[in-house]
Amino acid sequence: MTNAREISVEYLARVEGEGSMHVKVVDDRIEHVDFSIFEPPRFFEAFLRGRPHTDAPDITARICGICPIAYQMSSVHAMEGAFGVTVGGALRELRRLIYCGEWIESHALHVYLLHAPDFLGYESGIHMAADHRDVVEQGLRLKKAGNAVVTLLGGREIHPINVRVGGFYRVPTKKELEALVPELEWSRDAAVATIKFVSGFTFPEAEMDFEYVSVSHPDEYPFNEGRIVSSKGLDIDVSEFNRYFLEEHVERSNALHSRVRERGAYHVGPLARYNLNFEKLTPLAQKTAWEVGLGETCNNPFKSIIVRSVETLYAVEEALRIIDAYDEPAEPFVAYDVREGEGHGATEAPRGMLYHRYRVSEDGRIADAQIVPPTAQNQLTIESDLRYVLERHLDLPDEELSWVLEQSIRNYDPCISCATHFLDLTIERA
Amino acid sequence: MGGVVVIGVGNRMMGDDAAGPAVIDRLAGRLAPGVRLVESVGDATHLLDSWGGAQQAIVVDAVVAGGAPGTVHRVDGTEGFPSAWRSASTHLIGVAEAIDLGRAVDMLPEQLVVYGIEIESVAPGVELRPEVEGAVGLVAGRIVEELS
Repeated sequence: MTNAREISVEYLARVEGEGSMHVKVVDDRIEHVDFSIFEPPRFFEAFLRGRPHTDAPDITARICGICPIAYQMSSVHAMEGAFGVTVGGALRELRRLIYCGEWIESHALHVYLLHAPDFLGYESGIHMAADHRDVVEQGLRLKKAGNAVVTLLGGREIHPINVRVGGFYRVPTKKELEALVPELEWSRDAAVATIKFVSGFTFPEAEMDFEYVSVSHPDEYPFNEGRIVSSKGLDIDVSEFNRYFLEEHVERSNALHSRVRERGAYHVGPLARYNLNFEKLTPLAQKTAWEVGLGETCNNPFKSIIVRSVETLYAVEEALRIIDAYDEPAEPFVAYDVREGEGHGATEAPRGMLYHRYRVSEDGRIADAQIVPPTAQNQLTIESDLRYVLERHLDLPDEELSWVLEQSIRNYDPCISCATHFLDLTIERA
Repeated sequence: MGGVVVIGVGNRMMGDDAAGPAVIDRLAGRLAPGVRLVESVGDATHLLDSWGGAQQAIVVDAVVAGGAPGTVHRVDGTEGFPSAWRSASTHLIGVAEAIDLGRAVDMLPEQLVVYGIEIESVAPGVELRPEVEGAVGLVAGRIVEELS
C-alpha cells in the first residue's frame, strides 16, 4: 500500500507569482521537493532600460525595504566600473560606514524578531516579547542604532536618496558622525551580549558541504569591493560573474535558480562570508566567536544566527573605527565623464552577495541591466537543505515538521523571511 | 515628541501597494505645520520609531480584505489590525505586527487610526488602478478633515 503525504507551503500571495514550497512523500521516501521563494527583479531590469544611469541607485533601492543600501552599492560600483571611476579615501570609508548601518539593522531584525523566536519556541517576536521583553527591547535598540547610521548618511532610512554614482550628494561633518558614537558604543556591548545569548540556544545537528561564495578583499571583511571567491577554489574578478555562474529558468515557476557552472548549488550569506574571511574580523569579534565555541568555520545553517550576531559586532566596531578616523572630504563625490561601456558590481548585502551588471550607452542611458539578488542565488541550496532536514525528520508529526522546515528556511534570511511566519501549509495523505 | 504623524505604508514600485505613499503625496502642504508626514515600506520596527512619542498617529496601508479594489476602511488601530486583512507590504513584518509589538513593549500612540485601502494584488508597476487612485484622494480628504 502506498502512503503518500504531500506538504505544500504557499505564501499568502504578497507579490503575485511569489513562491511556494511543495513536498511529496511516498512510503516514507521523499519523492520531490520544490522550493521557489523569490521572483528575480525582472521588472526592475526592464524598467531601468532607457533611463539615465543616475537613476539606478534610487530605483534598485526600492527592490527591498530591508537592504536598500546593498542595491545602491552594487549599482554605483557597477556604473563606476563602466566609466572607469575610482572612489577612494573618505568617500570609500563612508560607503563602508553606511553598509555597517544596514548590516546592524538587518541582522538585529532577523536575529531578534525572526530567528530567536524559533529557538525559544515562540511563534513570533511578538509572542516572545510577552515573556522576554528586555530581549526584544535590546534588539529594537540595536536595530535603531543601525537605522541612525543609514539615516545620517543616506538621507532617509528607508529608500535612502543621498547615495550617487561617484559618492554622495552630501557628506556628513565629523561632528554629525560623532553624535552616533555613544549609541554605537552601547551597541558594541549589546552585540557581544547577543552573541553569548544566541550561542546558548539548542541547535539541531547539521553539517553541510556547501560551496560558499563571497566577495573577498585582502585587507578587510567584505562589503563593497574585492574578488569573488569560493570554498571550492573559485577566485575571479567581479566582471567574470556570468562566465562562472548561471541563472537557469525553472519550469514550474517564474523563478531563476543560480548555479556555479558545471558544479551546481552554492551558498551566499553570513556563513559564506564568515568561512571565507574569518581572519579579517576584528580581534574582539574573533575572540568572542572562539569563546562561544564557534571556531573559524561553521557548516551548520542553524548556527547562522550566531554568525549574524558576530557580524553585527564586526559592523559596530567597523563603524566606530571609521567615525574615529574620519576627515571630511573636500568634495562629496568624484566627478566623472560618461562613456559607453559595461560595468559590474558585487557587494555583500546582509543576506549575501548581490551582483549587478549594466551596459550604458554613449548618452549615459542604461541599455541593459542584470540584477542577481542573494536569495535567488541561495534557492537551490535552500531546496537541498530542506531535503536534508526532511530526510532526518520524516517521523515528526506534520505540525512539528513544518516548524523545522520554516526554521530551516529562516536560516538563510531570505528576502521574504518574515513571510515564513505566514506560511499556509497543507498536508495531504493518501 | 508629542504631536501628530501620518504614515503612508507601501512600495512605490509595486503597483497598487503605493496607495499609502500616494496619500502622503496628496497631503503635502494641506495639513497644519508640525504634522509629520512619513513614508514607510512597513517594517514594523520602522513604524514603531515613526510613531514613537507621537500622541496621535494615522497609518494608511494597502490591504487585501476581500472587498472591491478602492474600498476604504477606517479602524481604531489601538484595538489591533483586523485579522481578516492582509497587509500588502511585500517583504517585512508589517503594520499588524507593529501594532502587536507596540502593545507588547508599550510603544503605541494614544490614538492610532488605520486606513486600509483595498487592492486586489501587489505586482511590480508604477501606476495605481483608477479605483485605487480614487480611494487615495478620498482618504487624503478624510485625513485633512480629521486633523483640522
